[in-house]
Amino acid sequence: MEKMTSPYKWGMVIDLDRCTGCGACVVACQAENNVGICDKKEISEGRNMHWLRIERFWLGEYPEVRVRFLPVLCQHCHDAPCEPVCPVYASYHNPDGLNGQVYNRCVGTRYCGNNCPYAVRVFNFYPHDWPPPLDNQLSPDITVRSRGVMEKCSFCVQRIRRAKEEAKGEGRMVRDGEVQPACAQTCPAEALVFGNLADPQSRVARLSRSPRRFSLLEHLGTHPSVYYLKGGGREHA
Amino acid sequence: MPESHASYSSHKSHETHGTAETKTVGQLNDELLSSLRAPTRRWYLLAFFLGAVVAWGLFAFSWQVTHGMYVTGKNRPVMWGFYITGFVFWVGISHSGTMVSSILRLSRANWRRPILRAAEAMTVFSITVAGLFPLIHLGRNWTFFYMIPYPNQRGLWPNFRSALLWDVTAITAYIIGSSLFLYLGMLPDLAVARDLSVGWRRKLYAVLAMGWRGTAREWVVYHQASTLMAALIIPVAVSVHSIVAWDFAVTVVPGWHSTIFPPYFVIGAILSGVAAVITLMIIIRRAFRLEAYLTPLHFDNMGKLLLVISLLWSYAYFVEVQTTWYAHEPIEWEVFSFMAGRYTPQLLIMLVGNSLLPITAMCFKGLRRSIWVMLVVSLMVNVAMFIERFLIIVPSLSHKNMPFVWGSYSPSWVEISVNLAALAGFALLYTLFAKLFPIMALTDVRELEVREAHIPLGRTRLPSIAGKE
Amino acid sequence: MEILGIFSDMESAGRGVERLVRAGFTEAQITSLTSVAYPDGVLVRTEQRSWFRWLALAGGIVGAGAGFCLAAGTAWLYPVQTGDKPIIALYPTGIISFELAMLFAIIGAIVGMFLEMRLPPLGKRLYDPAISEGCIGISVSIHTGGGVMACRPGEGPGECIGSIASISAGEQQSLAEGIMREAGALRVIAE
Repeated sequence: MEKMTSPYKWGMVIDLDRCTGCGACVVACQAENNVGICDKKEISEGRNMHWLRIERFWLGEYPEVRVRFLPVLCQHCHDAPCEPVCPVYASYHNPDGLNGQVYNRCVGTRYCGNNCPYAVRVFNFYPHDWPPPLDNQLSPDITVRSRGVMEKCSFCVQRIRRAKEEAKGEGRMVRDGEVQPACAQTCPAEALVFGNLADPQSRVARLSRSPRRFSLLEHLGTHPSVYYLKGGGREHA
Repeated sequence: MPESHASYSSHKSHETHGTAETKTVGQLNDELLSSLRAPTRRWYLLAFFLGAVVAWGLFAFSWQVTHGMYVTGKNRPVMWGFYITGFVFWVGISHSGTMVSSILRLSRANWRRPILRAAEAMTVFSITVAGLFPLIHLGRNWTFFYMIPYPNQRGLWPNFRSALLWDVTAITAYIIGSSLFLYLGMLPDLAVARDLSVGWRRKLYAVLAMGWRGTAREWVVYHQASTLMAALIIPVAVSVHSIVAWDFAVTVVPGWHSTIFPPYFVIGAILSGVAAVITLMIIIRRAFRLEAYLTPLHFDNMGKLLLVISLLWSYAYFVEVQTTWYAHEPIEWEVFSFMAGRYTPQLLIMLVGNSLLPITAMCFKGLRRSIWVMLVVSLMVNVAMFIERFLIIVPSLSHKNMPFVWGSYSPSWVEISVNLAALAGFALLYTLFAKLFPIMALTDVRELEVREAHIPLGRTRLPSIAGKE
Repeated sequence: MEILGIFSDMESAGRGVERLVRAGFTEAQITSLTSVAYPDGVLVRTEQRSWFRWLALAGGIVGAGAGFCLAAGTAWLYPVQTGDKPIIALYPTGIISFELAMLFAIIGAIVGMFLEMRLPPLGKRLYDPAISEGCIGISVSIHTGGGVMACRPGEGPGECIGSIASISAGEQQSLAEGIMREAGALRVIAE
């Protein structure tokens, strides 16, 4: 049984100084990954399907009100609490450093959703369907999940796969910036940067060495692959 | 069944000696086997009512399977609710037979004899009911077989690192173990039932009794096997509930990640189980008119047991809250203060039912010997234990690490129906069992009669039991 | 060959056994059939040792091995990385091995018990339903041939079935029957 290794270690840096809270990343994620569209009833019941959420915190009293935005997505932890608890190996760790979710293996015990400290895992409580012609918007590279299955951000693994296949066909490694998850691609402020953390010259690796760097819930020791850069803007004044 | 006595009435009925109220063995057999008579209309009514509740629960469950998990009250972040509460509760009740029956057998307490069968049967049926909940709460119930370890073409075995697989293994072991324990206990009684019955019942008991004749050698081996089984089943029971506790304790959820959980859950299970045995004893005593066999002495002793376990539970709970309060680690403390704020009435009911009431009431002999008091106290304990499971599971999930996704939970009609159906299903299984099999350990109870004698000591005659226990 | 006498109470049954022993039948040949257990020596004496517990132990060992193969073996054959946990993890393997060890030990105990009791019986064995009503059955197994038979460990040839077995089976049977009826047996059943 040899240990599987890979030259890639996908990671993301989110610069909170740049994030404007516009929410374009959330919409892009939904569009790219066939995420179910939820109506008001579902969301008010606490069953939204957002793989990526913008957490919004208000500070201060009127008129000195400030707001902080925190985009939270699957942190792809190296010591993910969600992985060992799945009884059927639907959640596992990929040699590329991704936390994988296998939809057709999931039996729906929801243990992983409970154990995720970031609460980024969503469960298909409702069946979601796209009556024609809405099904034209579905991406063919990724499945449409049935009800009873857990899902979460995958760093747009279908894009990573495609980039790796193309690179392999050309006999090279995936270039820095060649693969972009939908959220990173869409962000108008370039707050989300994605790349190969194992390559010290990649943009994401250089940004992750910033002194502003922190991770969410570091005390839990989950070693996330997503690094946040502290905002230095007016909301801290 | 009295009709079958006719052919043997040519001899003088064997009389027992020593007891003040001499009962013939025939009378003892009759009374203790009275539940095996043909079912009355009341029995049919009860079975029908319980069956109707079970059918309603099945309907609710099928509603969930066909529509989706949204019919329950679960959401993000509270992804486990009433089903897992029910699961842990029923696993807790399943500790009744093991702890009461095994421990009393091993300690050779004589007052165990009328209680054994009821307790052991309760274990089997409650763990069966509990084992259904992990299947009910799945999002895709129809793929449950992914969790069963068998060679397959998928190239994947289930994940034994997951606490849920430990659950599967432990519950399987416990169901088989406790069923065998119940069967072993029933073996000599099945032989008696075989001899006293006719028709299809006779065939059934004859097959189950495996040709038991009661030779001296069979008794010797049987007693050794009973002791061995009692000793073996206790570690299984402790491990089962520890594993269920680890479902919570091995996570990083604040309020769940606590090393006290396994012993705390085992203590809670024993408390729940002892109370359930008391409730069931009261029901059986009334239903089958066994007042002569389940005397206030038995309730006195069970009450003492309840007192001790309730003190232990209170100690464990106090320790858990006290360490959380003192360290005041923000995330953990948030869980507790949320629970105390949002679920205040439930918390109070739990503390009264689990601690205050048993500890105060069970200190008094008069109260322990009163059937009504014992019924109220034991029912309150189990209501409080159900609430306790709920208060462990839901508040921790509601207020996890990220405040933006804090939520809350209320059970829906589906979950309530399924839990009620679980209770009705347990009662139905028990009712069917009591109709088919001896509900009291017949030969165990009669064993004392044989060895009883009145010995003149000093100025008076005292009853004594000859031979070692 | 077996002969079964039904007695109505403990005293007459005890008398019957005493007289049978004095007539030459050994303790090993005589056993009691009762619906409740009587302490050893009240009616008959039996061997108190048993071997079925070894089967329980064997079951436990096999179960521990089975659990190890299940938890560690399947993980080694089909390794999937989850969290930072090793592929073959200590605690889960230990837990599964323990559970299966206990399960197999319990099954071994029950199977061993039935094997030692030699149940379910393959041949016909004498029984009377009156035993369930409180009557006591005394069963004498008759051996012929005068050879050393049915000895308990530690007994010399002289203490085993000896001289009584030199009498023919029919004579032994009528002897036993006579003794038991004299002691107060309600009826005697022979094969």
